Amino acid sequence: MSRLYLGLTFILLFLIFNQKVKAEELYPELQEVLLRLGSKKTSERKTAIMDLANYQHPGLEELMESFKRRQLYIWVGPEDKPRLVLCENIKNDQIYPKDPLTKEKIKNVGGKPFQVSGTTLRQVRPARVERGLAENIKSLFKLSSSNPEIQLSGIKKCGEAKTIKGLGALSDLALEQLDRIAIGRSDGSSNKLRRLAYESALLIRITQTPVSTGDAHTQLVAELGNTKSQRSLKFLEKSIDKLNKGQALDEEVSRIYQAAIAKINTYQNFISLFNNLFQGISLGSVLILMALGLAITFGLMGVINMAHGELMMIGAYTTYVIQQVFHHSPETPNDIYFLCALPASFLMAATVGFLMEFFVIRHLYKRPLESLLATWGIGLILIQIVRLRFGDNIGVNAPSWGRGGIEVIQDLIFPYGRCFIIVICILSVMGIYYLMSQTQIGLMMRATMQNREMASGLGVNTGFIDRCTFAFGSGIAGIAGYAWTLIGGVTPNMGQTNFIVDSFLVVVTGGVGEIVGVICAGIGIGSLTKTIEPTIGTIWAKILLLIAVVVFIQFKPSGLFAPKGRLADD
Amino acid sequence: MIDQDRLKRNLPLILWLLLGLVIVPGLYLAGITSIGTVNKLGRYMTFALVAIGLDLIWGYAGILGLCQALFFCLGGYAMGMYLAHHGGPEGIIDKTGWKLPACLFVVYPYKVGEAPGDAVVPWFWKPFWSLPSTIFLGLFIPGLVAFIIGYFGFRSRVRGVYFAILTQAITVAAQNFFTMNNMKFCGTNGLTRFERICLAGHEHGVDVCQKANLSFQLSSDSLQFSLYLLTAVSIFGTYVLYRYVISSRLGRILVAIRDAESTLRFSGYKPYKYKLFAFVLAAMTAALGGLLYVPQMKIITPYNMGAERSILIVIFVAVGGRNTLSGALVGALTVNLLYDFLTSFNQPIPLTGLIFPGGLTFAKTWPIVLGLLFLTVVLGYPDGLVKLPSHFWSNIKNKSNLTDKQKTIG
Repeated sequence: MSRLYLGLTFILLFLIFNQKVKAEELYPELQEVLLRLGSKKTSERKTAIMDLANYQHPGLEELMESFKRRQLYIWVGPEDKPRLVLCENIKNDQIYPKDPLTKEKIKNVGGKPFQVSGTTLRQVRPARVERGLAENIKSLFKLSSSNPEIQLSGIKKCGEAKTIKGLGALSDLALEQLDRIAIGRSDGSSNKLRRLAYESALLIRITQTPVSTGDAHTQLVAELGNTKSQRSLKFLEKSIDKLNKGQALDEEVSRIYQAAIAKINTYQNFISLFNNLFQGISLGSVLILMALGLAITFGLMGVINMAHGELMMIGAYTTYVIQQVFHHSPETPNDIYFLCALPASFLMAATVGFLMEFFVIRHLYKRPLESLLATWGIGLILIQIVRLRFGDNIGVNAPSWGRGGIEVIQDLIFPYGRCFIIVICILSVMGIYYLMSQTQIGLMMRATMQNREMASGLGVNTGFIDRCTFAFGSGIAGIAGYAWTLIGGVTPNMGQTNFIVDSFLVVVTGGVGEIVGVICAGIGIGSLTKTIEPTIGTIWAKILLLIAVVVFIQFKPSGLFAPKGRLADD
Repeated sequence: MIDQDRLKRNLPLILWLLLGLVIVPGLYLAGITSIGTVNKLGRYMTFALVAIGLDLIWGYAGILGLCQALFFCLGGYAMGMYLAHHGGPEGIIDKTGWKLPACLFVVYPYKVGEAPGDAVVPWFWKPFWSLPSTIFLGLFIPGLVAFIIGYFGFRSRVRGVYFAILTQAITVAAQNFFTMNNMKFCGTNGLTRFERICLAGHEHGVDVCQKANLSFQLSSDSLQFSLYLLTAVSIFGTYVLYRYVISSRLGRILVAIRDAESTLRFSGYKPYKYKLFAFVLAAMTAALGGLLYVPQMKIITPYNMGAERSILIVIFVAVGGRNTLSGALVGALTVNLLYDFLTSFNQPIPLTGLIFPGGLTFAKTWPIVLGLLFLTVVLGYPDGLVKLPSHFWSNIKNKSNLTDKQKTIG
């Protein structure tokens, strides 16, 4: 079987290659069509566009775009032969006519580009109808593009009702190509292409076979139902609406339509449940990171750090600053920045945490309520400083590999960004576990938290360990902020609005000082929020979650994993 | 002298009477201060009311409730709905004959297919048509909410920071709730376009105020002045009531709860009942502040019930001094006047342009100043401003025993 596919692939590749050669050979003939495209008559231009549809040349799509933008001119060249040229910047005095297909400057025999004045050029001015036609034909040309992304957009476009209508008889050409793509290459990346091509082809066929044809139509509808895609659903719903408006629909037809719609709906609901769950898990991962930091500072040290959200914000803004340093932007990607931002955001937040502990918190260990207030004050200061320095809305651009996602099954997409967050979370949990249980400093941390005097007596510098522990917890918040830049907006008060309350809820629900509890509660709260959000709205979800937590605390006041035995008293 | 102790105890009250009800009104009537200043003071005093309430639960009973701003806003929204009913010329008459308030009309959440004519006054707006029921509900609803929160919170022994976090979460949720247009509380715009206070008009839905000659324009100086006086008197009344509560046996139990709740419980008391009482009382005081604030500010938005506002009230109390009622008052007025003073400068501070684009003004740095103030108070002066003079004196007299800070009452 696989050999067969391989063979088919070779044949296909050969076909494609062959056609490219053909296009080059056909060049003189194409020139003639192009000249007609520059004609003064609308009808002649229109037929020229139609004729172009029969050619395959990588430059044709761009040609249609320039045609639409009125960048094409007729230029009477040196040999007195008029030809179609592309001039992009006509206002400039130095106009270099370019070849409309290759976009290269036209050169004379000596190899120097021609330079002409505006008077020798005649602009091609397409009417509205032609521009529409050109747009539709463009998607036809996209089908044969070598860039899979462009090809994909072409495939999608060809299945749209508007394009089908606009292409008219040319739809057959599109159909031919779509079919070829649909049965074509079978490697993983083009699975999606093939599926969509098949779907688009079906859509075109259905449009071409009216309901009056009976079985032929209903069979196609049933087949469309099997694609299970959102697009087919929309199409089916629309067309059944349209059919119902006309006259009483045949019961059998109606039934087949409904069956197809129901089939898609079931599948899509199933998928969206998983998508939401995945989103919930990734949101939960950020929550876990936040709550892990809190579990360390609050659970182990007993310090209420209301500025924890601001430490997260600092992590996010550090990522932003690193991005600026590396001059990363969507146009000029410099992905290395994102790797550097991870330690940077950790260190930055940890430094701020270290200073906070040194100047403020160590004076307040005995007064938890006041540490709550003081850290809130610190948060206020941090927010305002960042707001004044960086402004209110900044954009952190994900690295180029962060876009897109893994399509597990049809329409179930796990975005890379969210996968990355989950990985970061898992690594952090492992890191914390390792640090706490396997290293010297972790041992000292635990010793200090459990029995300060004893640890001190055994030679542990408890003050310094406190500072390190707090800095470590803060650094984890910095990483949470860094991870958040992949999926959410970055604003100075992001910690306060989104996270501080939620993460305290996570800590309280999970049980203070219990890392396992924090993880369970984080995933639970995160995915619960995301799964109920679509049905009842964000705010209601929040309120409901809050009520749930309050009720939960009524029954389990010390969280999911309550400390037992001697530790349990307050 | 026997009376010296009494005089000392009553000094804050006398000072307050002098400042709030004699000096400021005197200055205004003499034409020295403008009505704008008096109005501003009146608004700050409503915050002081909330602060006194918080002082009772935080300073005396040791409960840090971060939902005082919510209670303040519940009172404020009650008054706001009343004023919106009688204000704004643009509202329409709905199908049931009620006048749809202008601010609601603007952001009415029409369903698909509904025309502006389909807007109706929601049922929960209707009780706020008459002033007496507004005042009653404006105090009762916050009290009820506080009762529910307190009952479930205190009964399951949610304490200290946990209670703070819980109440803060509730405040955030409530703010989200009021921000939604669908809830018909006018969304982020808040309640506004107030015009007059109408003492008649109990006939539902029909505006009889204009005929009855019993309506007062909100913008008029005399009404604003009376509102100021009303606020000052309310503070006086609240102060007297609170002092009574604190000096009673109940007050001593509250202090016992703060200092040793378990011990109290083992002695056979049920602390949650006392806590509940204090919490509800504080909530209703905050709501009274809200009721008085809105006609003076002429707008109420969900922003006022944010977590930040609750913390701000905690700052008032912390700055002024916990567990002294006068501290709450002093703190609220000081912080607000400081805010007023600092934000009146518009020149950029020199040299700040080097780090911050465009330089800084004092107005922009206000949150930083506030944060620093907070840190200073928490770290340096946990007893707050009102104790400063006595600390100062005891230092001068060189018999300082700052270490055992007395918890004075009053």
